[in-house]
Amino acid sequence: MDVAREQVGDGELAGNLLKQGAEARVYKSSFMGREAVVKERFAKKYRHASLDSKLTLKRLLGEARSMIKARKLGVRTPVVFAVDSLSRTLTFEFVTGSLIKDILLQSGPISENTILEDIASQIGKAIARLHDGGLIHGDLTTSNMILHSEKQELVMIDFGLSFTSSLPEDKAVDLYVLERALISLHSSNGNVMEQVLASYRQSSKYWSSTLNKLAQVQMRGRKRVMVG
Amino acid sequence: MAVFQLDTHPGRSLQLLLFTDVLNTKELLLSMQMGSLHPEVAFFNASMVPDIFPILAAAHKTLLAQSQGNMLTRTLHSELIYNYSGSKHITESLRRCGITDNTQYVLAARFDCSEEELKAVRQLLQGAEVNLQGLEKRGDKTQIQKHYKITNPELEISSLGEAITCRIATRDAS
Repeated sequence: MDVAREQVGDGELAGNLLKQGAEARVYKSSFMGREAVVKERFAKKYRHASLDSKLTLKRLLGEARSMIKARKLGVRTPVVFAVDSLSRTLTFEFVTGSLIKDILLQSGPISENTILEDIASQIGKAIARLHDGGLIHGDLTTSNMILHSEKQELVMIDFGLSFTSSLPEDKAVDLYVLERALISLHSSNGNVMEQVLASYRQSSKYWSSTLNKLAQVQMRGRKRVMVG
Repeated sequence: MAVFQLDTHPGRSLQLLLFTDVLNTKELLLSMQMGSLHPEVAFFNASMVPDIFPILAAAHKTLLAQSQGNMLTRTLHSELIYNYSGSKHITESLRRCGITDNTQYVLAARFDCSEEELKAVRQLLQGAEVNLQGLEKRGDKTQIQKHYKITNPELEISSLGEAITCRIATRDAS
């Protein structure tokens, strides 16, 4: 974090840095009196300037579009406040709540915990809605999900890697990424994925082709074997 | 009546006034089209405005366009209505979200409004000024949903105002 702060320099937002990733910096800010988050996609010096601006802009707009699409499908995402292609920033609602990651790390096994059960069901339902609408999140991990503190509803964040597709393959890989994340970080919570998939099956119209594909993906891993 | 400080553009503010039973929209429209409206004001069809927040989001977008020099309409205040509409079609935007000949329920908006200008705005409109709190109740939900293409599943997870805000913000992304 300290390294990140130095790189930010002395911009006005520098003190409010929340996170720094490979492609963007995320700041806390305010927008018309509401708490807001500003996601700034910075320029990559190692890329040719015109290619860089093209890629950055495409991703910036793509992310905003995906967030809206998710909302249209009935999946709660932060309200998008503003998109500025000149400063390469996306401003959206600051969601007050806890990361699902932290909730899971502080809880015991799912079998003894109805709150976890409810969370897992909400996750499955949300993913099913996205997938049925042809939207793949692309980075389903427990740190990209927030439980809203007031309404106890699931909010999906970080659509930076999302794209549209209705292929069972893409949906299965999306689920597989979540499964790996759950196994590696939250094995002490028992089989959360089972509950997620059960609820996915209930909510998705195309559950059977996706879950069949998931079984194949589980055998071979996320990357397709491209031999022969 | 209320003044909103626009925190993303320090020093700028937006004045809002709500009127019912306005009788002279036809003349207002005419003087606007002639460019002789003083002071310059944005007149919204208030039944398309269920919440102040999307107006402020549109105001942010408008001031940003002004500072970046990429406004798409002639004046700052027509740009505000155009941005509020969430659509790319300027004429359509002004007709749906602005006033028409027979609009009676009007929300007036002006950037950085001085005391004298405020008086002048009040004199422009022949109608009864009412509290802004009434906006939510009198919003035309059906028309709004139709215009912004807001589906029912979306309203399960979102308020009408938030759904509009999202569309205003991402118009140029789609």
